[in-house]
Amino acid sequence: MIFDMHMHIEDSAVLGWQMSAEDCIRAMDAAGVQAAAVMTLTDLPGLNPRGLELIAEACAAFPDRLHGFLRLNPALLEESKRLLTMAVTELGFRGLKQHPVSTLQHPGGAATIELVRHAGELGVPTLFHCGDEPLSTPLSIAETAAACPDSVVILGHMGGYFHVDEAIDVAEQFPNVVLETSAMPYPEKIREAVQRLGPERVVFGSDGPVSSPVLERHKVVIASLGEEAAGLVLGGNAERLLGVAA
Amino acid sequence: MTVDGLIHLGASHFGSALEVQAALADMDAVGTSVAVAAPVHPRGADFTAANKAVAQACAGSGGRLVPLARVDPWDVAAAVAELGRAVAGGARGLFLHPAEEHFRINDDRVRPVVEAAAELGVPVVVAAGFHLYSEPLQLGRAAQWAPGNPFVLTNGGQFNISGMAQFDAELALGNDNVLVQTSGMYREDFLERVVATFGPERLMFASAAPVFTMAYERARVDLAHFGDEERDLILDGNARRVFGVPA
Repeated sequence: MIFDMHMHIEDSAVLGWQMSAEDCIRAMDAAGVQAAAVMTLTDLPGLNPRGLELIAEACAAFPDRLHGFLRLNPALLEESKRLLTMAVTELGFRGLKQHPVSTLQHPGGAATIELVRHAGELGVPTLFHCGDEPLSTPLSIAETAAACPDSVVILGHMGGYFHVDEAIDVAEQFPNVVLETSAMPYPEKIREAVQRLGPERVVFGSDGPVSSPVLERHKVVIASLGEEAAGLVLGGNAERLLGVAA
Repeated sequence: MTVDGLIHLGASHFGSALEVQAALADMDAVGTSVAVAAPVHPRGADFTAANKAVAQACAGSGGRLVPLARVDPWDVAAAVAELGRAVAGGARGLFLHPAEEHFRINDDRVRPVVEAAAELGVPVVVAAGFHLYSEPLQLGRAAQWAPGNPFVLTNGGQFNISGMAQFDAELALGNDNVLVQTSGMYREDFLERVVATFGPERLMFASAAPVFTMAYERARVDLAHFGDEERDLILDGNARRVFGVPA
């Protein structure tokens, strides 16, 4: 199974952002992607009060193909913990999404650490936006990884444009860190990550549907990982991390 | 036919390296006929020597490599003089890298170099998207110094893995002389929007190899949703027009 670890659904009149479950499915079909983790572009509690329902309804409409991640703001910690618990235990969500640039919460802050630790206790990973902006660099998120050794921390975009080497370094230091390949433009860095960390520690993602899953999958192909490693990166690792069946 | 709007030739002070034979082999592998070649930041910062080396490599390439001249505008008089020398020797444009040479692109001290390129009739290519040095709005201001002269921004005019600089890049494109290259720009919808909003004449394929990977950068254009005429301009016609490369 080809699994995309990073896709978005949103319906925010306030921001003018519209991308549907059907948009994701179309983009996945074009790329030969069977299943994906989907999340909003806004944080709960926040600009889109229906964010949880939006993702839950999408996953219910495409139960074998879309798996929900709940994007939360740790600043509202108790409500975020309550929502995550409900989403995972009652609605079948598979992960937590954190975007520190959006929430302005440092990954090493007490609230984020408590929320990510809670995700680990619920048995789901946390996907961080991990790029070049303050609050989102690999070394910032390393603080979370160090404080939450029993939680899986996925570095989305594996460091962006200028922090990719640091992302690999952080993953080398913390065994609970996994790298996700979307958007960052260096195929050879995927190969380097697999060589240094092992193929079990890297997962394919696209940041679609506005980024192209076809192009993003092609990046993994160009990385020339070999059949076994590519199989893990493109889907096997997601199946294991999220507990989804092939 | 495909023209790669920018590659970097030589061994860089910052570690990357691409030599002529490797560049030509990589171009063959992805079906690129011609590439526009700028020198890397040379060890020892001798830009004149670097420009001469690239010009010589291009002269011996059978027309497959087209040289740009790279200068360091901190010494404005020397930069203008070197640009003039290089253009007289065949350079088809000016390449500026504000991040590697540590200057702000819209610093008034850079203006004489940009104006000199316009007076010489050659376009300006700028390594774009670097925080503090070549942010899209800074680039838009610098483009206004010579409004009739092409001002080409690498990397879609921006670097931001959340797409948060796209609006600024589109503001820069509000200057009629600005084009953006496709290198490293992960948002397919941005590339398509540039064509839809500003026209296909404003988007140019470039790999920026070896910073980025030729095969993957070519795939960005091949897999995006453009019409045939648009794709021909992006992959070939725009670079030929801007850099004066014969068809």
